[in-house]
Amino acid sequence: MNLTASLSLIAPELVLSASSLILLLMAAWMGDRHTQTISWLAALALAAATILAVPALSGGASGLSSEAFGGQFRADAYAAFAKILIYIAAIASILVAPAFFERLRAMRAEYPVLIVLATIGMSIMVSANDLMTLYIGLELNSLASYVLAAFLRNETRSAEAGLKYFVLGALASGILLFGMSLLYGFTGTTNFAGIESALGGGAQTGALFGLIFVLAGLAFKISAVPFHMWTPDVYEGAPTPVTLFFASAPKVAAVTLTARVALEAFGGQVEAWRQIVVFAALASIVVGALGAIGQTNLKRLLAYSSINNVGFLLIGLAAASLAGVAAMLAYLVVYVAMTLGSFVALLLLQDRTGEPLETLGDIAGLSSRSPGVAWSLLVLMFSLAGIPPLMGFWAKFVVFRAAVEADLLLLAVIGIAASVIGAFYYIKVVKVMFFDEPADREVAAAGGVNWAILIAAVLFISPLGYLLTGWLGTLANTAASALFIAA
Amino acid sequence: MVDLSQYLPILIFLGIALALSTAFVFLPMGVSQLTGTHNPTTEKLSEYECGFPAFEDPRSRFDVRFYLVAILFIVFDLEAAFLFPWAVSLDLTGWPGWITMMVFLFELVVGFVYAWKKGALEWE
Amino acid sequence: MIQTFAFYLFAVLLIASAVLVITSRNPVHAVLWLIVAFFNGAGLMVLVGAEFIAALLVIVYVGAVAVLFLFVVMMLDIDFAELRAGFIRHFPLGVLIALVLLAEIVLGVGAYRAGALELGAAGVAAEPIAGRSNIDNIGALLYTRYLFLFESAGLILLVAMIGAIVLTHRERPGSHKTHQNIDRQVRRRPQDATVMTRPDVGQGVEL
Repeated sequence: MNLTASLSLIAPELVLSASSLILLLMAAWMGDRHTQTISWLAALALAAATILAVPALSGGASGLSSEAFGGQFRADAYAAFAKILIYIAAIASILVAPAFFERLRAMRAEYPVLIVLATIGMSIMVSANDLMTLYIGLELNSLASYVLAAFLRNETRSAEAGLKYFVLGALASGILLFGMSLLYGFTGTTNFAGIESALGGGAQTGALFGLIFVLAGLAFKISAVPFHMWTPDVYEGAPTPVTLFFASAPKVAAVTLTARVALEAFGGQVEAWRQIVVFAALASIVVGALGAIGQTNLKRLLAYSSINNVGFLLIGLAAASLAGVAAMLAYLVVYVAMTLGSFVALLLLQDRTGEPLETLGDIAGLSSRSPGVAWSLLVLMFSLAGIPPLMGFWAKFVVFRAAVEADLLLLAVIGIAASVIGAFYYIKVVKVMFFDEPADREVAAAGGVNWAILIAAVLFISPLGYLLTGWLGTLANTAASALFIAA
Repeated sequence: MVDLSQYLPILIFLGIALALSTAFVFLPMGVSQLTGTHNPTTEKLSEYECGFPAFEDPRSRFDVRFYLVAILFIVFDLEAAFLFPWAVSLDLTGWPGWITMMVFLFELVVGFVYAWKKGALEWE
Repeated sequence: MIQTFAFYLFAVLLIASAVLVITSRNPVHAVLWLIVAFFNGAGLMVLVGAEFIAALLVIVYVGAVAVLFLFVVMMLDIDFAELRAGFIRHFPLGVLIALVLLAEIVLGVGAYRAGALELGAAGVAAEPIAGRSNIDNIGALLYTRYLFLFESAGLILLVAMIGAIVLTHRERPGSHKTHQNIDRQVRRRPQDATVMTRPDVGQGVEL
């Protein structure tokens, strides 16, 4: 193993680790008053890591040259694609936080540090090429996430969200570990390529058990049905910037990780895991769409919306083809933009006393009180519903096209039908904002960073985003092909 | 395979300790059962010293600060546990192994400095 | 022979104490039984030749984790009567889940019979170093081949520390006053603290 070559491949992680240690010491010395400074520095470190990840993506890194530490870690174009997306989402969740926590007088300098540490974990997850790397990355991310969910420790809801997330997350980790130990027992290795060659084309019952347990553990992380129960409660209880983080970055990490495990470690057992993925995809789409209908809390509503979106992402994976994975990656980009936009819009909604407007009733008639936010939300909701000519439509279109090409016509048809159910509650939000009697709650003006992120997200998913589809499609294809060359 | 015969003394020790402690617990019970009289009444079994029953459960709730101390202890305990194999295998791992451990220690020292500065190590 | 005897001794004690962990009504007793279970687990680890794991079980699990469990159990204000009422109410659900888990175990055992275990079959596995103990072998791998995972594990420990402090540490009012400032103490000079005056008789001093 060439240590220098390995270290150069993990440059983004090294930068993030070093800056997390420095920022932690700064947080201890400078105190909570300087959270703003520490947040900007953390965002800067993440931006540096993003730049360091770009060459692997544009260079289409793949194969043996992208393996570090004797095959435990893989810094290929696929990982780079996911990393860039994760870093951008992490930057957004750091920048929107100070204004939110300042209002509650709960500003803590540890927030950006924990986000950076969680991001390192996700970075390791998407580059994992070994079951042990997978587990270490997942735990680093999860542990930081549990703390972040309970960050407002004096609020019962936040503490409850943290506890719930922790208990269920620990259970999922246990399931995952059990599956991993079965796989190790039946194949004699933890390396993805090693597992694939040891399994060959067939799947013995024991290894199949391992596969199912590993997928179940990962399904918890991406909150796919039937492992989604924690999502609405945790998203509702966690502080909104943390929810924004949970709904974007860890989703990207877990979905790309699941695809890598499925295609690299179980490349010969496609038929075995496809049934599971198809079931989870359909169940997520339907439960996400139906569950959202009765919700009055906007954060819960968006939680169900994220469950619904995971279903569409899994359709791309179920195709198990290059086109399918590329479609999944493209969907992830659009999903992250829509999620960041929706949650930032939520953060912008607060009344004069600083109370957040969180329920459907609060945003009734928003168009007359805060037209900017209302119109942005209109675009976001229509995009989430998949209404052309917005980017949400393009994302769903590429995913369904990949599914049809992979002869999963029935899956695509049911998915399209279910997305019509989903459109109902997105449009209901728009209806409440534009046609209901205005609620008597003032909407206060809020920070410039939030507006910048909201405008960027809305512009990206607006028809203008179609100018980028060619470029995005090429990048997604390069990234996805890294997965298939290696396999 | 490890030579398990070196553990024979401790196994014998465990056996004897188990036998002795069992004897110490059950022998007096048996003896008193056989020799003493045993007819308890409610009066005999009630609280006697202060004349009134206990106000509350004697197990009072612990301060959350104990938990913080225990977590910090676990972290540094694990760190120490990792030092054992490092120390004995240093001739095999050489400088790379040494540097690896120093980086690991540095990570935890940063955490330690943070805990110290935050006052997490102080009781009051 | 003695090895078989030791295995059954540890295994029986382990299962018995594990059963007592979940059946004992007092959570403190449950934690104490858990410690017994950990000890017997360590004994089993010695029997399979994983001496370092055995030492870790005793040092980390018995020494630290069990203590943490005790603290947490004592921190919780558990109403035992209520707990038992809940147990009776949820008993049918519990039985159902237990049956599902039992089915899984049966299937899992069947799975073991179906396929061969291939421990160490892959070509990339490291060869054990001849003549060195288990702990040497672990060290030789952990700090070279797996150094990336080892350092990442260090970050996990760091997060655990930050998390514990963020969630439970509180600045107590007044704690700053009692704070010992060593720097200030050392910098203090006699002239900062004492004044030499020569008051006239009957005049007194102004302080």
